[in-house]
Amino acid sequence: MKIGRQILSFFIVLLLLGVAWELFKWFGGDPWRVTNNPFGIEHNPPFRIKQASDLNLPHIWEIISAFGKESRRNGPMLIETLAAASLFTFREAITGFLLGGFLGLSLGTLFAHIPLLNRGCMPYVVASQTVPILAIAPMVIIWLKAGWISVAIISAYLTFFPVTINTLRGLLSPDPTTIELMRSYAASWWAILWKVRFPAALPYIFTAFKVSATASVVGAIIGELPSGIRDGLGGAILNFNSYYITGPERLWAAIIASSLVGILFYLLVTAVETIVLRNRKTK
Amino acid sequence: MTILSINNVSKRFNAGSSNETVALQNINLTIESDEFVSIIGPSGCGKSTLLRVIGDLIAPSEGKVSIHGKSAAQSRLDQDYGMVFQAPVLLEWRRILPNVVLPMELAGIPKPEREKTARNLLAQVGLKGFERHYPWQLSGGMQQRVAIARALAIRPKLLLMDEPFGALDEMTRERMNLQLHDIWRESDTTVLFVTHSISEAVFLSTKIIVMSARPGQILEVIDIDLPRQRDDSTREDVRFFEQERAVREWLRRAESGG
Ligand SMILES: Nc1ncnc2c1ncn2[C@@H]1O[C@H](COP(=O)(O)OP(=O)(O)O)[C@@H](O)[C@H]1O
Ligand SMILES: [Mg+2]
Repeated sequence: MKIGRQILSFFIVLLLLGVAWELFKWFGGDPWRVTNNPFGIEHNPPFRIKQASDLNLPHIWEIISAFGKESRRNGPMLIETLAAASLFTFREAITGFLLGGFLGLSLGTLFAHIPLLNRGCMPYVVASQTVPILAIAPMVIIWLKAGWISVAIISAYLTFFPVTINTLRGLLSPDPTTIELMRSYAASWWAILWKVRFPAALPYIFTAFKVSATASVVGAIIGELPSGIRDGLGGAILNFNSYYITGPERLWAAIIASSLVGILFYLLVTAVETIVLRNRKTK
Repeated sequence: MTILSINNVSKRFNAGSSNETVALQNINLTIESDEFVSIIGPSGCGKSTLLRVIGDLIAPSEGKVSIHGKSAAQSRLDQDYGMVFQAPVLLEWRRILPNVVLPMELAGIPKPEREKTARNLLAQVGLKGFERHYPWQLSGGMQQRVAIARALAIRPKLLLMDEPFGALDEMTRERMNLQLHDIWRESDTTVLFVTHSISEAVFLSTKIIVMSARPGQILEVIDIDLPRQRDDSTREDVRFFEQERAVREWLRRAESGG
């Protein structure tokens, strides 16, 4: 089946990446030896490449095994810490996604129906995305005080844009004859929106939702940094970053957790899309 | 009884600008109910524009259209006419039955009734058994029959058809002509039918309107002298050939500018 092949190729690529990673270290990493063995197995890489050292690029098994170790002295296992952080960040991200999605759908619908508003406001919508999120985030925190809701709003700031653009495009995508047909049956603008424009826009909207899903996770992680929230992945990344020397694999583990949250959110949206659009021809 | 009357209708696109197009000029026309009227004319002479003015999809620059004594706008709101375009214009996310149901849904007809009507109409156009298919699973000819069933769903007094079979192959087109003829004869619908096929126009019509281009005007109205009921033998009738020749002659004049 199609989905089976997709999963298979995902893991093949993952495996290849892992092999490349370890090959890089094999040729340019730190020397190592297996202690406590009679044969003295050891490896002395032919080159020394700074980026391949154990500090900059830990062995994959080090990263994986870090999940099962304590995240700090006498603390819970890293996997528990990261799971809790992931859940916390996911809550912010999904709230931001919903807020941004709602805003995007509303703006897109407004702009599709009121050309004047479209011309007048679209430049500001575009401009809003050229302001770096790192500059916006502290402002939001100052206005709304630190808390996960503020972080969700920062995340929404990243997600409403693709939804606005694609909603607008999708709503305007039916050809003029379809609209004439509806008008010939005395359809109200509301009926045209609901029975023609919106269904036609759905594939566009889902494309935007997929972009937004991953963007909302990025937005949530970045939003946590200036707000001083330490319960999420942003906090974890900040924390493990400052203790990088003593345990680089923990930061890498946090990065893996972050991308897993993004991937899972993306897959969730894709699953909903597959169900909603199951009877569309365009595959 | 007069179902459609068009008084002094003109339509100019981009009026006042340098690329002004006079699509229609001083069109006067009355159509009696129960007729089948074809409009034929060179490409770009304003046939589609005329149909859209009648359907109140665009406003005329001058003149007045009335359907059944009502304004075109009121007729549209009352769903007095059905429209069929060259493309089937089906909603791809709806199955065939809901596509036919659409106009009745908009008219607020209760669900059981509208589905029953739609089923009957689909059977009438020979598409029984395709209710649950999606448009993309049907051939072009079948899709166009769905469009016709949909147009008939609101029992229109007037059926406006803009080159509905233009995209179909000759064989399919002749079969569709027969079917359309039967539908017209069995219902009390008046048809206004745009085509660029002379034989199609002669085969189907009781009256043919020849239009000339630039500016779009009515050049001639030809009454077709053939038995009311048409079938495969009609195409072998001597009168069929004679009228075809007459229409062709007028069309030639229309193309050479009157
Ligand atoms: N929306 C429009 N804007 C400008 N010109 C138009 C528009 N629609 C049609 N026209 C022009 O009006 C003329 C008649 O068009 P149309 O009614 O489509 O012709 P036909 O259907 O007979 O081929 C053409 O010259 C066409 O270019
Ligand atoms: Mg046309």
